[in-house]
Amino acid sequence: MTTGITCKRMIVAGLLCTGLAVPVGVYAIGEPPPSASQSAPARETWQKEFDSVCSRSQDAMSFSEEELATLIKRCDVLLPQIEKLDETRKKVYMGRLRMCRGLYAYVLESKRNEKK
Amino acid sequence: MLTCSNRRGTKKNDRGRFLLTLACGVFLLAGVASAQFFLPPPPPAQPSDYGKVILDTDASKSGPGAVVFDHWLHRSKFTCRLCHVDIGFAMAAKGTGIRADSNRQGFHCGACHDGKKLFGGKPLFAACSDGPGGKQCDRCHSLGKNGVREYEYRAYTAKFPKAHYGIDWQAAEAAGIVKPVDFVEGVSIKKTKIESREDFSIKAGVTWVHPVFFSHEKHSIWNGCELCHPEIFPTAKKSAVQYTMFSNIEGRHCGACHLKVAFPLNNCQMCHPRAPAWAQQ
Amino acid sequence: MNRRLFIALALILVFCGQSLSQTGTKKKRPLPYEFGRVVLNNYSEKADLSPVVFEHWIHRSKFTCRVCHVDIGFAMKAGATGIHAVDNERGYYCGSCHNGKMIVDGKAVFAACSNKKLTYEDQRRCDRCHSIGKKVPSDFDFFTFSQPLPKERFGNGIDWEKAEEMGLIKPASFLDGFTIPKHSLAAQKDFDLNPKVEGMPDIIFSHKKHTVWNGCELCHPEIFMGVKKGNSHYNMVDISEGKSCGACHVTVAFPLMDCQRCHSKPVQP
Repeated sequence: MTTGITCKRMIVAGLLCTGLAVPVGVYAIGEPPPSASQSAPARETWQKEFDSVCSRSQDAMSFSEEELATLIKRCDVLLPQIEKLDETRKKVYMGRLRMCRGLYAYVLESKRNEKK
Repeated sequence: MLTCSNRRGTKKNDRGRFLLTLACGVFLLAGVASAQFFLPPPPPAQPSDYGKVILDTDASKSGPGAVVFDHWLHRSKFTCRLCHVDIGFAMAAKGTGIRADSNRQGFHCGACHDGKKLFGGKPLFAACSDGPGGKQCDRCHSLGKNGVREYEYRAYTAKFPKAHYGIDWQAAEAAGIVKPVDFVEGVSIKKTKIESREDFSIKAGVTWVHPVFFSHEKHSIWNGCELCHPEIFPTAKKSAVQYTMFSNIEGRHCGACHLKVAFPLNNCQMCHPRAPAWAQQ
Repeated sequence: MNRRLFIALALILVFCGQSLSQTGTKKKRPLPYEFGRVVLNNYSEKADLSPVVFEHWIHRSKFTCRVCHVDIGFAMKAGATGIHAVDNERGYYCGSCHNGKMIVDGKAVFAACSNKKLTYEDQRRCDRCHSIGKKVPSDFDFFTFSQPLPKERFGNGIDWEKAEEMGLIKPASFLDGFTIPKHSLAAQKDFDLNPKVEGMPDIIFSHKKHTVWNGCELCHPEIFMGVKKGNSHYNMVDISEGKSCGACHVTVAFPLMDCQRCHSKPVQP
């Protein structure tokens, strides 16, 4: 039972950290632009996070290494949430997340290489 | 105990001999088969047959009969590039997949044979169109039919300089007898010219064969760049390791042209200029 | 004994080996309306349907490459996405647009796939995509479509860049519900690549021209992994096999035979 309580605490702590990371990340990266979509169905929480993380891919080259590292971490946090989706959405969003995270990792690596 | 002298006649030895004989037989067969690869085929006996292509995607099954395409008439008028790059014909029979439909839509043969483009002041007959009677079909679908073609080889090429296989096209152009056209309005699109690359020589894969001398200039006048690159010659490395006589004789690389349409491979000195005189077959 | 047999077999293979290679001939060139055609058959035949024929030319006149290959998530190779009918029914992949609701040219785009009992009309609808071996009338005719567009060599025979410049096509870069609203892209600099072959004009690679249609993620890092300039080496053999530039410039974007499109200094207008 001690193990169970520890597990619960870890989950709660993890959720708290994620909850803190989102506003911190948003503060660091900046507010995402307002959605122009009026007709699309309401976005779920993970979708909003996905939009927030992957909407700035075209600015990737202007981010600092720390900002890129934060974005990559946010992608990693999203991954298990996407894995729990139904088969179709899992397939679609895993692919999109892979491309989005891949780009940030690529840009981070090229920045680190430039320094060397 | 078995010794060397009394090993003969044992089962193991018999089996060994059998396997050796089998291996020799296989060697021999391979040697015979590879003779097809070693030696380039001679050109056809009739010079008018050199460069003849039979096109039969399904013409012989669907009625009009197989098409006979004679290179000599078209290459006296147009560069290789016009047909094989601008129009897009493949370089092996059945490779293009020409159909009556695609001709009527203005592709392939229909790019010029559209009933409108002028040739010698007259409009070229439209390919696969509803022409009068069946005679028009026979102008191309002429395999096995006599007296249906408008141009006859001997009369047409009477003044052309000859080679042992057919026509010496380089000499014909140098003498101004043929002036191959490289641009047709509505078919070709003009592009900035890429400067012709330098001529170079390629060492043969074996020491007893003289090097090949390749002239980019001579090839690019008729072919441009795109005909050969990158499909026929994808790599920039000038090397006999990749481009060998084996592949040429199979119809790949140099053999894409120099097996059945451009001067044939069995005239060794045309490419290996220092080859001995006896090397010509 | 075994060694001799082995040598004999090896020699036979050497003689025959040359014919196993596929390069060195001029292959069939797709006609302008066939260029960019993709046949999809992960599951169609297993479901007793003809394989799907996807034509790039009509779709690329309506949307940028990024909308389909990043926002919707189609892979860049036939069969690699693994589209199921149920994915389309749920409004993903083909169903992102082919949902019976999206309006294009004043008409609703037909819905892809269906889990209901199919009527005769429904089955005709299936044939619109599952059309291998069938003569299926299309809403769009290539000749009518391409006739007013500026011409180019090879591929579809259409100069897509110029067509967009002239306003004859307006590929949308936003798809409601899929595209995340973004700022416009600040393109990376153009740069030149020096060919190893003497005399070949330098290649000027235009990031601007590519990112306008592709964004960044389509190419980086999956198609172009190298992060340090000068470390990656591209050769025509690899490209013609579909690697690096060949991911697009063999079967969909202007093909490799159009040398001057890349090997030209300065960038062709």
